[in-house]
Amino acid sequence: MKSNTLDEPASLTNEERAAANAAWHGLFWLVLANAVGVLIALLLIFPALNRQLGEWTYGRWIMVHMNLELYGWTSIPMAGFLFKVYGADREPMARWARTVLWVWSAALGVGVFSWLSGHSSGKLFLDWSGYARVLFSAAMLTLWLYLSISFFKNRSEKCSTASWAGKLAGLLVLLAVPFLIYVAADPGIYPAVNPDTGGPTGASQLESSLVIVAILLMLPYGLTLRKAGSSRIIAVSWLVLVAESLICAALGRADISHLHPLQYVSLGSLLAWLPLMPAYYATFEWHAATRRWRQAFLWWWGALLITGWVFFLPGVLDHFKFTDGLVGHSFVAMAGFTSSLIIFVMVQLLGEGGWIFNRTRSFYAWQFCVIAYILLMTAAGWREGFDPAFTIAPGMARNALYVLRLVAGALMLLASLDWLVDASTLVREPVAVQIDVALEKTA
Amino acid sequence: MSRGRRGLPGWQGASLVAITYVYFLIFAQFAFLARLAALGLAGAHLKTVMGAMAFGGVLFSLLAPRVSLWPSPNLRLRIGLAVSGAAAFLSLLPLGTAAAIVVSFMIGAGLGVVTVTVATHLRLWAADRNPLLMVGVGTGVGYLICNLPALFTASAFVQALVAGVLCMAGIGITLLSATATVEDAEARPHSDFGFVRVLACFAALVWLDSAAFFIIQNTPALKAGTWVGTVHLVVNGLLHFAAALAAVWLLPRRGLAIVLSAAFVALGAACLLLLHPERAALASCFYPIGVSLYSVALVAYPSLLAPASIVAERGRMAGWIYAIAGWAGSAMGIGMGQNLGYVPPVFVLAAGAVVLLPWLVKFVLHRKREFAMTAAVLLLAFYANRALTKVDAPVQLSQVERGRHVYISEGCIHCHSQYVRPNSADVQMWGPAETIDELRLQHPPLIGNRRQGPDLSQVGGRRSPLWLKAHFYNPPEVSGASIMPSYGFLFQDQRGDDLVAYLASLHGVGTKQHVAGERLWQPSTGAVQSADAALGERLYRRDCATCHAADGRTRLSWQAKFKRLPPDLLVGPYFYLPPLGPDAPRLMRIAQITRFGVPGTDMSGHEYLSDVEIASISQWLSQQIARSLQKQ
Repeated sequence: MKSNTLDEPASLTNEERAAANAAWHGLFWLVLANAVGVLIALLLIFPALNRQLGEWTYGRWIMVHMNLELYGWTSIPMAGFLFKVYGADREPMARWARTVLWVWSAALGVGVFSWLSGHSSGKLFLDWSGYARVLFSAAMLTLWLYLSISFFKNRSEKCSTASWAGKLAGLLVLLAVPFLIYVAADPGIYPAVNPDTGGPTGASQLESSLVIVAILLMLPYGLTLRKAGSSRIIAVSWLVLVAESLICAALGRADISHLHPLQYVSLGSLLAWLPLMPAYYATFEWHAATRRWRQAFLWWWGALLITGWVFFLPGVLDHFKFTDGLVGHSFVAMAGFTSSLIIFVMVQLLGEGGWIFNRTRSFYAWQFCVIAYILLMTAAGWREGFDPAFTIAPGMARNALYVLRLVAGALMLLASLDWLVDASTLVREPVAVQIDVALEKTA
Repeated sequence: MSRGRRGLPGWQGASLVAITYVYFLIFAQFAFLARLAALGLAGAHLKTVMGAMAFGGVLFSLLAPRVSLWPSPNLRLRIGLAVSGAAAFLSLLPLGTAAAIVVSFMIGAGLGVVTVTVATHLRLWAADRNPLLMVGVGTGVGYLICNLPALFTASAFVQALVAGVLCMAGIGITLLSATATVEDAEARPHSDFGFVRVLACFAALVWLDSAAFFIIQNTPALKAGTWVGTVHLVVNGLLHFAAALAAVWLLPRRGLAIVLSAAFVALGAACLLLLHPERAALASCFYPIGVSLYSVALVAYPSLLAPASIVAERGRMAGWIYAIAGWAGSAMGIGMGQNLGYVPPVFVLAAGAVVLLPWLVKFVLHRKREFAMTAAVLLLAFYANRALTKVDAPVQLSQVERGRHVYISEGCIHCHSQYVRPNSADVQMWGPAETIDELRLQHPPLIGNRRQGPDLSQVGGRRSPLWLKAHFYNPPEVSGASIMPSYGFLFQDQRGDDLVAYLASLHGVGTKQHVAGERLWQPSTGAVQSADAALGERLYRRDCATCHAADGRTRLSWQAKFKRLPPDLLVGPYFYLPPLGPDAPRLMRIAQITRFGVPGTDMSGHEYLSDVEIASISQWLSQQIARSLQKQ
């Protein structure tokens, strides 16, 4: 990609343009979700502001915030990744990439309107209901259809049998996703419950974590090439995944307490990924521009593994359940780990265009604010665990922590806005108005 | 082109733009009207005076670029500023109707000359490198100055004086500029925006702005929510300034259409929000953003962006814009405000059609494939949803089931859990735990993951329907420390009563046994020893007095609805306390009632208070009750 200035649209290859469009759509929803997050933080400090919002009160905005982070920011850049894997970012299919992203974003837009209008399934992160529920599944099916057509159109390209079979298997798995999301949003279905906390069991947390591990292990194959002589660590990683999956299957899906040693010991097996994942990623060739975000995502991965396990331990979970402490932990997962991972993937896809994520100011603003946010929420959760009135009947200490949280959130919003503005320069077409100076006859 | 400037390049241009805006906003639109009111001018006389201003404005906006009597822009601007300044000073005199008409005409004429001259020849006073920035800074500073509390709240006399002095300062600025009769360089803009379309857009935006301004200015409830208070004014000023800079950033990058569209969205939202006085504060955020966005464009377009091949053409365009969009649009907006008192949504829609439609049509044509595909998927999903809905035949829901839907719709789950953790402090605080089998009967279980408020799984055993309803209407009134927003809007239809019925139904089989257990509870010895009557009084005033004081707000709001009117606890009677006797049993009983309430009545508990807080309330109240009983 040719480097560009603010006033000059970038000239992108088809592959980069598809990735840039995915980045732009993802960032658009990130900025919106972050703006809603700031609004939510404000409402918790100044509840009287709710009066200005009519029926669109705090509870409805939370749905918007959470779902946009997941189905907008986290999901759309991964669609960009899939474009590359299935050759959908190359002609003749590349021109449809933006169309598929539009459909996805339209479904999210309808979702936002639906949640603000009070339509929800009542299930966290699965609030899809009514028309929005059908539409979102249809949007995912549209993406799947696009990937499938691209895959079969590109079948004449040079590709090993293993790679071809892997992609085909991937397509079959992806086909299940729209239906799984649709079914999972059904109010009649509910996962296993930890009877001592009302939260997920150790087994279900292990299961979802292993899905993430599997995605992390597959990602590099769609993004880059392996370094020579690096097969041992790769083999070990996949073997560990298989072994842990067997443990997970053996645990079953019963409603079991976190006090049961088998639950927290088996969840602790995930700590094996603390050294394994960085070693695994070191066996692949990465674009130099990814260094900063690759390191960030691996650090956050470590933090997530450790805090995830510690927060599940008997005594610790009992103290922090239902408090801001777990809000802080979810921030490790979403704002720390997932966001760094997504941006790392985007930078790898964009190549030189990855500069949009590599401004020092936005990188450090984001990282420091995420850390500050987590520390603030952990402190609030620590206090709340001893005294529920800490947040139910807020005093000075809680308000001070929440004001600092608001500042951190606002800075994160600015960082994401910085990325979106830069991403706009990648995707936009020639400017409508230019002001330049030229000689002119006078009257 | 401009020459011979030192220091901050282009500051003269920015200053002239700022002066023009301040004069127009704080004097012509504001202080002069106040002066006329003080002079007793109203009705037809007032209309005539204001008509003279509009006439002067339109006439000289159109004449200014055509009069070749004073070819020097500097001289023309000095004359315009001198007339404007003189009018401001003259307005300080005790004018009669005829004199007011003359002064009003002078204001219009002076402004007509100044605005058109500044816009036409802006490059004489703005910097070469970024004249647009000077326009933005000038506009932003102009609005910021107008919103300075000292000026905004000053008397009309002071505001007129400031306007006059600023005009004199403007003349001084033109004297600092080198004499020039013509510009030797000019902008050659590239815009696909036709002049007539631009004119229509500006007219629609000025119309909306003027109508909203007039309505806010003349509706006390709206004015209180938008332009009252130092903080509010400063925030308004800063929003104006930020939006002006945003317009500077957007214009060269995204074009005029986007700026005008964004201005319309903000202004339209403000006009719609102003239909509800309780949302005036929110409208006050949108209004300055919309106004500043288009105000920058209003100067930048004729001066820098208009597709004019010669300066004279640029001047004529500026003249038409300020005559039609500025003066006529403004008059129409004020007329709408005067006659209707609100901006009809249908007019907002019409303005939107003028501003957005051409841009939208172009955008849709440019993205045919995306629109067609998205529309196809939307349509497909619509029919799929209809087919699926037919399969799931609608069932008649009970009131409790409907209430559960309301609970889900409002996202109550994000602040309230419905899960009492067994064998934990939860049980004493929120009630008996449910079994997993009971939980799985719910579709879906509404366990939640965060407690910004109390757990609600047993709330029906802890709160009466009246308490729940009163709390939904005004949470802090009922529960002093509550941060819950009001859900009074749910009672405009059946949703509120459905939700109350659902919550009242939330109590399990263990409730009776649990209530018996509550009668055995006592605050810890340490808490009793640490009790502080002063703290107790404070908490009583916050959490109890709303029902238990003669002038308690909840008591007054709902008095006929209580099962039994809550007694004034400083007077009695005391239904649930032991009769006069030793203090200890009374203290304990007050503590139990404070903590858990009285089952079967409207008296709620305060489960989240600490033992020390409970003991403190108990101590203070016991002292008051003892005194009251002794008196009796």
